[in-house]
Amino acid sequence: MKVDLYNQLMRAGRLGRRDVLKGMASTGALAAFSGVATGISARPVWAADNASLRAQILKIPGVGAGSPTDADWQKVGELCLGPVKEVVQEGEFAGVELTFMGLNNQNLHNFLFRGFLKPWEAYTGAKINWIDLAQADYNARLQQSIATQTVDFDIIEMGAPFEGDVTGRGLASVMPDWVKSIIDMDDYVGYLKAPVGTWDGKTYRVSIDGDCHTFAYRTDYYDNEEFAKAWAEEGDGTPWEPPTTWQMVQKHTKFLAGKKDPLTGLDAHGYLDPLKGWGGFGFYFLESRATAYAKHPDDPAWLFDPEDMKPRVNNAAFVRAIQDVMDVMSTQPPDQINADPGTTAFQQFLAGTGSMISWWGDVGSNARTSDSSVVGDVVGFRHLPGSDDVWNHRKGEWETLASGPNEAPNMAYIGWGVYVMARVDSDSKKQKAAWSAAAHLGGKDLSLWTSAYPSGFQPYRNSHFNYGEWEEAGYDRAFVEDYLGSNADSYNHPNAAIEPRIPGIFQYYSVAEDELAKGFAGQYGSAQETADAIAKAWEEITDQIGRERQVELYKASLGL
Amino acid sequence: MSDKQIFHDSEFDLLQKTRWFSGRVAVYGILIFWTVVCLFPIYWTITTSFKMAPNVMQGHLVPLVDFTPRWLGWKSLGLSPDTIWAESTVREEFLKRFTNSTISALASSTLAVILGSMAAYGLSRFRYRFGFMRNPDISFFFLSQLILPPVVLALPFLVLYKQLDLLDTSIGLVMLYTLTVLPIVIWIMRDQFSSIPVELEEAALVDGLSIWGAFLTIVLPIALPGMVAAFILCLVLTWNEYFFAALLTSTDAKTLPVMVASQTGSQGINWWAMAALSTAAILPLIIIGIVLERYIIKGMAAGAVK
Amino acid sequence: MSKEGDLLHVVTFDDMTPMRLRLGKLLIWGSAAVMALTFAALALAEAGYIGLEFENWRPALYGFLFWSVCLCIAQVVLHGEQGKRTLFVLPAALFVVAMVIFPLVFALGIAFSDWNLSSPTGRQFNGFDNVRQMWGDPFYWNALKNMAYYTLAILVEYAVAFGLALLLASDIKARKFFRVAFLMPLMLSPVAVSWMVGKSMMEIRFGPLARLARWLGWERPSFFGDPEVARAMIMMMDAWTFIPFMMIMILAGLQAIPRELQEAARVDGASAWRGFWEITFPLMLPVSITAILIRIIFKLKLADIIINVTSGGPGGATDSVTSFIFREYRDRSNVGYGTLLAIVYLVLIVVAITTFMKLVDRWMNPRY
Repeated sequence: MKVDLYNQLMRAGRLGRRDVLKGMASTGALAAFSGVATGISARPVWAADNASLRAQILKIPGVGAGSPTDADWQKVGELCLGPVKEVVQEGEFAGVELTFMGLNNQNLHNFLFRGFLKPWEAYTGAKINWIDLAQADYNARLQQSIATQTVDFDIIEMGAPFEGDVTGRGLASVMPDWVKSIIDMDDYVGYLKAPVGTWDGKTYRVSIDGDCHTFAYRTDYYDNEEFAKAWAEEGDGTPWEPPTTWQMVQKHTKFLAGKKDPLTGLDAHGYLDPLKGWGGFGFYFLESRATAYAKHPDDPAWLFDPEDMKPRVNNAAFVRAIQDVMDVMSTQPPDQINADPGTTAFQQFLAGTGSMISWWGDVGSNARTSDSSVVGDVVGFRHLPGSDDVWNHRKGEWETLASGPNEAPNMAYIGWGVYVMARVDSDSKKQKAAWSAAAHLGGKDLSLWTSAYPSGFQPYRNSHFNYGEWEEAGYDRAFVEDYLGSNADSYNHPNAAIEPRIPGIFQYYSVAEDELAKGFAGQYGSAQETADAIAKAWEEITDQIGRERQVELYKASLGL
Repeated sequence: MSDKQIFHDSEFDLLQKTRWFSGRVAVYGILIFWTVVCLFPIYWTITTSFKMAPNVMQGHLVPLVDFTPRWLGWKSLGLSPDTIWAESTVREEFLKRFTNSTISALASSTLAVILGSMAAYGLSRFRYRFGFMRNPDISFFFLSQLILPPVVLALPFLVLYKQLDLLDTSIGLVMLYTLTVLPIVIWIMRDQFSSIPVELEEAALVDGLSIWGAFLTIVLPIALPGMVAAFILCLVLTWNEYFFAALLTSTDAKTLPVMVASQTGSQGINWWAMAALSTAAILPLIIIGIVLERYIIKGMAAGAVK
Repeated sequence: MSKEGDLLHVVTFDDMTPMRLRLGKLLIWGSAAVMALTFAALALAEAGYIGLEFENWRPALYGFLFWSVCLCIAQVVLHGEQGKRTLFVLPAALFVVAMVIFPLVFALGIAFSDWNLSSPTGRQFNGFDNVRQMWGDPFYWNALKNMAYYTLAILVEYAVAFGLALLLASDIKARKFFRVAFLMPLMLSPVAVSWMVGKSMMEIRFGPLARLARWLGWERPSFFGDPEVARAMIMMMDAWTFIPFMMIMILAGLQAIPRELQEAARVDGASAWRGFWEITFPLMLPVSITAILIRIIFKLKLADIIINVTSGGPGGATDSVTSFIFREYRDRSNVGYGTLLAIVYLVLIVVAITTFMKLVDRWMNPRY
């Protein structure tokens, strides 16, 4: 069905696929003649065709046509092969075999890569073997590979938080200069530029994803006149509009308890907290509530003290965030205590339960293009709420900033990247093959497609925020501006909270989840006790991994 | 007199009949209730694989009545009518894993049944002495392998297999699976052999067969139902094994349960795809269960009552 | 039945010539020497003392295989008929020893060391620190406590399984159909069950079980919100998959009861209830105990469903030992501590099961 749709589009479209390919092949051949070095300077040759190419790939399979399939991925991969063809000759890597380790999330991630790389394999003659990991297995598998010296892959899809574990031990290959120019790293949004992706000044990472939590809310709740009227009576006198601070989120959430959802007619709920752990990823959601309280604009650190790695997770800011969660637990849907973030976002929020959540950017594109969404049109986006006051950890007191509420978007996970392992360096053909595959996946045009369709990846380049392109692809202008704008605002926020890229960071998150679960189940006396338990467990982990080295790496990751 | 007698009888009959009838109703009521309990989840899994998001969200139950079946779930596996002839990476992946699962499950179950039957026969017929260990100790030694929590062996096996170059090979997986199911085979087969009268073999020995000859030609055929039962249990356990498969395989030998587990992640769950994959993963065992069910009970029966 | 001697008496006439004995000894020690040499060569090569290059330790595996085969042959050569009997058990024993002993010894080494995979220092022996940590770890004790509850649930499972088996053994129509239907849950993979049952059917809004609960009058059904309810739900899901297993064993036992005994009971005029308690149940005791024992062993490994459905929540109420170790081990890469917890668990289980078996043995075969 999707293939038919695509073909229809092609027939109706201005430009046939064949024409595009023909044009590309000739420019590619030309560039191949002039060799690698000139290929770089001659880059704009193919870029001229770019606008139409980008418009074309955004139409595969088309917004509202459901989730893309294999055929779509391969077509996109084929259409975006131009830059690689400039530096790689046809059949150049014949006989090379590479192993690629990445995620298999719902047949996304690695399965998309397979589709994207199929034309690359056909062109270069290389062959790729795939290691697919369930998300829950990912961290464990990576750590075990490193610790037991069983690194059995050449290319890896990896998040920046693991850079400490991998590049810190010299396991990754340094990016060659020709790759840098192909993937146009200057186009990355601010926080993804160095030092992220680098270690000791060397570049390792091809970004394919940008991550930050944004705030998604149901617009129909805030357009609802009954709610507005009721709020005027019960509320604090502020207008009934999407909350901009966590203090407002709390009030709205309590206010909405006991009302009826305008879309589904079932119980209405306010902000949804995922109360169950998620292999470490669940802690990001507490962070998102806490960053506005904890991240002071004058202080780059917020999770640990940079001097001695003393946890800040039990300071007043985090305790207040935990208390916030506990305060609204009674307003949550039943069984919320057993809802991990995935359930909360996809089975509750996208299915019409609850009116506000924090999530990575893809809930936005998913709301429109995924098969599993029923709320499509009534979702609005913003960067994460701020706070009226902010905790100054050094002074040990709450401060109200003259500039207004303190905002600190949580750059949770920093995004996936593609890394090449150092074990290919001994074979220059293999190394070039591996890097060209990585460069293909991190290509500027390809990434436009991955950020627009269900892929597991978010926008991460300044060129992704060209609203005109999205509109032409069939997205509603207002929706896209809203959705992409929330991401752009977060990425470029001067007070963005960036997580420490230190070894074992997910161990900290995982143990925090366990303790939080106990706290939420009422097994600790208070939010403070819960936070103290987390801090104690974190101190043990720091001691076990090695405090001095952690301090050193943490300072480095903060740029101190 | 006779009248009274008849009257009395029929009243008694009636009482008996109602009691018998209500008893029947209760029996079949329970049977049908439990059948629903057992089969509904399977029904749910299969029908969900034909649903779309709104059907799932609204909890539709009966295809064609509540909702129109769609091939969405199967399409995501490349197994729907319109994608089955097109190229599909997911289907390739699925088939590869399906093959690997089949190989590891069949090979390890066969190996376990062979090794286990031999050991069980030996233990049921002869007295051994390995050092301080006598028969009950040897039996317990085998059975204790069943107790080992898999996490104890996880990292050691990772290191051992790395050294032996067995990581990501079906052979490695088969060896490990054989180890985990061997105790069950020994357990079942020991009971099975004990129930076979020794006189049979004694007669065979008198006829000039060797011990092994008697074992292979006389005893094994009688014990066949037990072996089938043991084999099926092994299949169930090895086919569904997840932990070691996730740990020890990556590309060449990976199996199906790992793929089922990866249907979830930071993009939520596509229930239809999950259901389709689950259906495909449980179907072979369901078929085996239906076809070979009678052997299971027969096989378990032998040693049950002594 | 004598305690000594084989069940199957075989008269053997083995002519053990000294030549044969020498050959047998040579086979064993010769092959052992070959294996030892392989190991030594590999160890030396790894340490860099000799110039040989091995890609891996595969040769050691072949060495062991060679020795095993020679050992088996030597049994026959050395002991004749007696050796042929040993041959029944020896291959399985060698296989298990090879597959378990080395990893177990290595696991012991890991258990007494401080090994966090993220730590640059690698593995470091730390004596009994892990034991001390375990002593003060509320999560571990909580999980052990939960395991006690989970194990107790087996009694209920057993009762249900017995009831179903009795029904299936009674005079009913379509017996084959019901038997197959009742068997099905056993065939399903725990991963699929935890998703399709635990997460889909028990979904609180659209799940059919939630709708059923609402129809039955539970207004806001929540299957995993309350600690007790959540634990009961996990027990039920686990029971669902394993009741068929116990049911089959008991059914097999019931069908093996000689018909005369049952008829004798009926002729005695015993009511069905008394007949059950006085004849059927005692006869079913041995098989019941086996079924319960196997069930306990499987129950003690309970993890897949918990990991997928609740991750041990709410607040640890459903955590099993294996699922907790799983988190410690995988999510937190705390391999040393995790392995120690597993080993302690193993010791606890072995002690408990041995005691259980001894008690049952004492009870079933009283020795005066």
